[in-house]
Amino acid sequence: MNLIVNGSEVEIVSPPLTPLLHVLRDELDITGPKAGCQQGGCGTCTVLIDGEPRRSCLTAVAAVDGASITTIEGVGQAEELSAVQAAFYKHYAAQCGFCTPGMVLAATALIERKGGPVERDEVLEALGGHYCRCTGYVKIIDAVMAASRGEVDSVDDLPVPEPGQPEVLPKGSPA
Amino acid sequence: MKAVGARLPRYDGLGHVTGRTQFVDDVRVGKTLWVKALRSTHHNAAITSLDTSKAEAMKGVRAIITHKDVPKNVYGHLEGLGVPGDEPLLADGEVRWLGQPIAAVAAESEAAAQAAVEAMEISYEERPALFDIRNALDPDAPEIHQWGNVYPHYGPYNHRRVRKGDIDRAFDEADTIVEGVYRPQAIEQVPMETQVSLVVPEASGRLTIYSCTQAMYFSMGVVAAHLQVPLNKLKFVGGTVGGGFGGKVDTATETICALLALKARKPVKWRWTREEEFLVSSTRAPWHIELQDAVSKEGWILGRRTVTLHDSGAYARFSPYGLTKHAFHHSGAYTIPNLRFDGFVVFTNRVPTTAMRGFGVTSVSFAVETHMNRIAEVMGLDPWELRLKNANRIGDTSGNGVVLKDPSTVAVTLAAADRVGIELSAEYRGMNEEPRTGALLPEHLVAQQNLNGEGA
Repeated sequence: MNLIVNGSEVEIVSPPLTPLLHVLRDELDITGPKAGCQQGGCGTCTVLIDGEPRRSCLTAVAAVDGASITTIEGVGQAEELSAVQAAFYKHYAAQCGFCTPGMVLAATALIERKGGPVERDEVLEALGGHYCRCTGYVKIIDAVMAASRGEVDSVDDLPVPEPGQPEVLPKGSPA
Repeated sequence: MKAVGARLPRYDGLGHVTGRTQFVDDVRVGKTLWVKALRSTHHNAAITSLDTSKAEAMKGVRAIITHKDVPKNVYGHLEGLGVPGDEPLLADGEVRWLGQPIAAVAAESEAAAQAAVEAMEISYEERPALFDIRNALDPDAPEIHQWGNVYPHYGPYNHRRVRKGDIDRAFDEADTIVEGVYRPQAIEQVPMETQVSLVVPEASGRLTIYSCTQAMYFSMGVVAAHLQVPLNKLKFVGGTVGGGFGGKVDTATETICALLALKARKPVKWRWTREEEFLVSSTRAPWHIELQDAVSKEGWILGRRTVTLHDSGAYARFSPYGLTKHAFHHSGAYTIPNLRFDGFVVFTNRVPTTAMRGFGVTSVSFAVETHMNRIAEVMGLDPWELRLKNANRIGDTSGNGVVLKDPSTVAVTLAAADRVGIELSAEYRGMNEEPRTGALLPEHLVAQQNLNGEGA
């Protein structure tokens, strides 16, 4: 079996019925998709399969042989965030961060599909299967709508402390 | 104070939005073994036999531990305060809650570990179980804990007490007595990241423990105590928690992983399934709270009698501490000059309970605020005015003798009224937290006021 993962073709040796989540995490060491419930309930394992958000925990790898898989690692790096990533960052839409990869991918697919500004109801529909226990969702919904309107497109857009304020640099996770 | 009010980027935000934040489950160490646990299938039972020999002989199984492998099996979080431990890491001779761990296996795959658990042979002799804290002191209730059904270690008492003022006089002088019973129930914290740890035995003899704990030093102490090793043998790596909400205060997986890592001499990981998270991880406690308030017709709360039962589940863990916090907050954000509080930590055959978002306080705040509305309804008073009148003020003394220097009840209540469009009269709208005077300092509140700042 073969997959195109974040643009690179890889050969898969896991047994055919292995969940795509385990293939990504344990065979390929791609840890962006998370094992939140492993029964399709929480959305943390979401990846894009040929552009569509899917639960990798419920997807047997053989069922997507040859498909193009996008994980959070393929969306954007810290130096060049995608519009959705920058919006999540700027709007404080990530707290513990565990649901964030799945949220960002589902939001990315929604905005791609719509091709323009999305309404609140559309965000609720698209993210309905994604649980967040930290934020209460408001900041996440705001971030997706802002990203869809093209309001946030760069990390440079972030608030910067005034001179004389303590220096707080966005260095990423200390882990 | 320059950071207060400033819009600062999250220090970990870039890691989160790019998926680069490394959670415990994302740490990659070669040849990691997986853990599964044999868990009790009964709420209360004697273990009459346990045989792990078939499991030990299975392919891929690298280590199995039972209570015999734990240097100090029985431990309690309050041992440092002189309270003996009560909870075994792995059940020894009996189980007290459905899902209690009895044995644990480390194997080369998750499936092999699960198969080994299923090959373990165990038999039980079931005992009657206790589930409802209200029945714990009934004459025919089963005694389910070695200390009896109530935690007995509050100094000379078997319950947490608060005594302030003259409670009998307050009830004699009351125009109305308002009673209420409040029963907030158990809640699972449901972090998106289930309980997980990874323990790597190092060549130096130390253990590197990747932990999702919310309470690093608690967890270090728990592991060190069970293993009977000094803290410098443990290198804890934490700081990235995929949601906790109190549920990751208890040390769920680290100690068993550490013992298995030492026995197998391999890195060992245990990631709970979502089912385990729901069924056997500790929850917020159920409570039974009875409030009885002596109220004057002008809307003064003259006194409060409280009886609280706290469901600790099968063992004490942090419950005595949670109940103490509950006791300190039982007058809410209000000044009540006469108090009598009796709170009991009650054992049941339920999963042990723990913190969740305001350990012990959320339950009593729910009860107190609901009770305030009940008082207003019974007395025909405005609930906002009732709150503002009885609100904590500078110089007031709390139930546990703390003289308040910067209470915020008035400001918060006024802001809340404003946000929801409540029109208050000028008398109440103009209130602040300054010390009581005039009409706000009736005779019954004089004795509790202390403007010298000394505690009672």
